[in-house]
Amino acid sequence: MDDQIEDELRAAARGYNEPPETPREVMWERIVAARAEEAERAEGRFRGFRSVRPVRLAAGIAAVLVLGIGLGRLTVRQPGPGPAPTPVSKAAPANAAAYRLATTEHLSQAEAFLTLFRVSVRGSGDERLATATARQLLATNRLLLDSPAASDTRIRLLLQDLELVLAEIAQLSSQPRSGELDLITEGMEQGGLLSRLRTAVPAGASSTQGVL
Amino acid sequence: MEERELIGRVLAGDPSAERALYDAHVDRVFRLVYRMAGDLDRAQDYTQETFIRAFSRLAEFRSEAALSTWLGSIAISITLNGLRKVRRLNQRELVLDDLAPVGRVERLADPDLKTRLTQAIEGLPEGYRAVFVMHDVEGYTHEEIAGVLGVHPGTSKAQLSRARARLRVALADFAKD
Repeated sequence: MDDQIEDELRAAARGYNEPPETPREVMWERIVAARAEEAERAEGRFRGFRSVRPVRLAAGIAAVLVLGIGLGRLTVRQPGPGPAPTPVSKAAPANAAAYRLATTEHLSQAEAFLTLFRVSVRGSGDERLATATARQLLATNRLLLDSPAASDTRIRLLLQDLELVLAEIAQLSSQPRSGELDLITEGMEQGGLLSRLRTAVPAGASSTQGVL
Repeated sequence: MEERELIGRVLAGDPSAERALYDAHVDRVFRLVYRMAGDLDRAQDYTQETFIRAFSRLAEFRSEAALSTWLGSIAISITLNGLRKVRRLNQRELVLDDLAPVGRVERLADPDLKTRLTQAIEGLPEGYRAVFVMHDVEGYTHEEIAGVLGVHPGTSKAQLSRARARLRVALADFAKD
């Protein structure tokens, strides 16, 4: 194929599926409507989450933690006189599994809460309910940070970052100033907190629905 | 206004910033999507979905790439997935025309180069077609294409070269005339 044909080819290619003028307004109206609908659905889910979750959430996570700690205490042998004990304990896997379960559950709930908080709380006037949930999550977060679950550096850093954001939400005033919510959102975004939470929670783990 | 500042305002919930971001990018996204889809309704649907998804995931955007590249990758992903669905549907429904292309094709009794080329482009494999449309039709650079498609620039160049070679073969008899 000679150069002339190549040139014709290029010129003809520019006419391939020639787009009409962009229908900006039509598309924008649909985008706005779709996003409003999505936000409304998310707010509905958030209301349900807030109305039943705080007490059940704390109770459920506490139960898992108690189970883990109980299993650990029952099965770990007390060190006695004699040769130095080997660091490997047969109880470790069961104990670690219980902590892992509690951590996963907590991170899953935190991810659901923060996602819904970001979508729903702004301008809804329901900050008080959000702060109550944040306080419950904060308490569990502190328990997990002090537990062997935090021996995993990645989880420990995640729990520490989560603690900062939860503390900010827990301290929200009933009528927050305009900048307060922005600061919280920024805090969530700066460290990619939500993405890290999603990565840490295995697919299929419960979030807004589940064992609690 | 700088792009980073605009993104910050969108994330803070400023509706005017959302509109400004949309206005800044919608033409480029729509053009690319329309070129790939070849149909106004589908192009509108895919463009809308691109921005809906982009706004809901903007917090995950990292400034290592340009926002236009990020939007392009969302648009291409949505468009190719949408076209695959349409193709599957067509294959189920249209037994007689099992090679029917997804986009608009004008069939003429005595096709000129433009029509022949359109048919030949529609017949390209998906990846080749995307690279050809982006580079030769819409004028993207290989670096931009690589960012949008998530491939190495060298891969983009190779795919373009293969796409052009296929088109030359498809139009060989035209060249002889």
